[in-house]
Amino acid sequence: MEPSRKKFLKNFLIGAATVPVILEACKKDTVAAAETATTTGTSSGSCALAPTETAGPFPTITPSSLVRSDIRLDRTGVALTINITVKNTSNSCAALSGAIVDIWHCDKDGYYSEYGGTGMQSVNYTTVHFLRGRQTTDANGLVSFTSIFPGWYSGRATHIHVHVYNAAGTSLMITQIAFPEGSGSAVATVNASTANGYTKGMTGYTYNASDNVFSDDTSGAEIATVTGSVAAGYTLAHTINVKA
Amino acid sequence: MPNNIIRLCYRKIIDASSAQVWDKYVFDSSYAEFLLQAQLYNQEKKYTLFSELLLHVPNAKKLHFLVSAAVVGYLQQLNDIFPDITDNLGRQFVPFKNFRFEMIESDVTKKANHRVAINFFSEPMTWHGSIGNYLLLSAAGEKENADGVLTHLVPLQPFLGIYSVKEEIL
Repeated sequence: MEPSRKKFLKNFLIGAATVPVILEACKKDTVAAAETATTTGTSSGSCALAPTETAGPFPTITPSSLVRSDIRLDRTGVALTINITVKNTSNSCAALSGAIVDIWHCDKDGYYSEYGGTGMQSVNYTTVHFLRGRQTTDANGLVSFTSIFPGWYSGRATHIHVHVYNAAGTSLMITQIAFPEGSGSAVATVNASTANGYTKGMTGYTYNASDNVFSDDTSGAEIATVTGSVAAGYTLAHTINVKA
Repeated sequence: MPNNIIRLCYRKIIDASSAQVWDKYVFDSSYAEFLLQAQLYNQEKKYTLFSELLLHVPNAKKLHFLVSAAVVGYLQQLNDIFPDITDNLGRQFVPFKNFRFEMIESDVTKKANHRVAINFFSEPMTWHGSIGNYLLLSAAGEKENADGVLTHLVPLQPFLGIYSVKEEIL
């Protein structure tokens, strides 16, 4: 074989090897170009913007990520089921169905989910809203959340925040739920449970009587009923009366 | 020159004039969430604008975070890829898991004044250099194949920035 032909064949083989890559590239380009039919691009004279793709295959309307009954996400601790019943003082304290109930509380170490730092610190979208949830009351006025027993932080007794709205989203009540305390109480037992990651104990704890939110609640109307054990988990039950 | 590891930031503004379906859903959902959550900071109903709440109510800045809960479901629909930003072949490819939502302005009486931004932060990428107005990027840790490392060319453009940079440790 003469040298030039040999060289030609060699080049041809290299070329053949790269053909599938080129075809593949063209194929993908064609798909991208077809997709632009559904999007609007901008152009100025002969200088056209690179083709764009559609925003996602099929965007769908999605409820707020707060709408969930299991609000733990990545947080660990002693299991706590939170059952809140909403009643209507404008209707002889009958159960209020269809009310929207937001709750939020701190994790076992006393931290809330929120943006830390300042400015443009980024957060992972899958875990950032831990221990916050939203449910709508059923025919019995009940909402139920699966969570972990909240820890505590300096200056406050253990508590859960609650915001109740009517079905239209108008605020009816912003309040907090307090916990029973004292020796043998769930608060004392859980905060001693180092095996479950509760490391603070009760040293420095602010009791309900000294808490700037609960200290005026001399009748204990804001204190929930808490039953259960560290091993089996606890259940909190509380009724909130609103004027709907 | 050693390669640098960079993370891109894309700040996507969404308001009443946004035309894409996804953007419209984010607009509607974030406004509904704002109306709910703003009541916590506006119990006497003294204010109508988000900027007024920021100015007068301690902690109202938490609304950036609180309202962001409304957009998480839409972020999931993006399958961890930046929206809008394409390489010069027209393909979306920038991987992300992190974001930060911002309220720019809103108004409890007028939805048309609602304006938000979603900042998308990319996963780390290797920046091999720049060609003209384009950044030559590959996924950080991308293994070489017979052709070398596969890359993307991304044009510099408004609202696309480099969030962070560090030298690649080889």
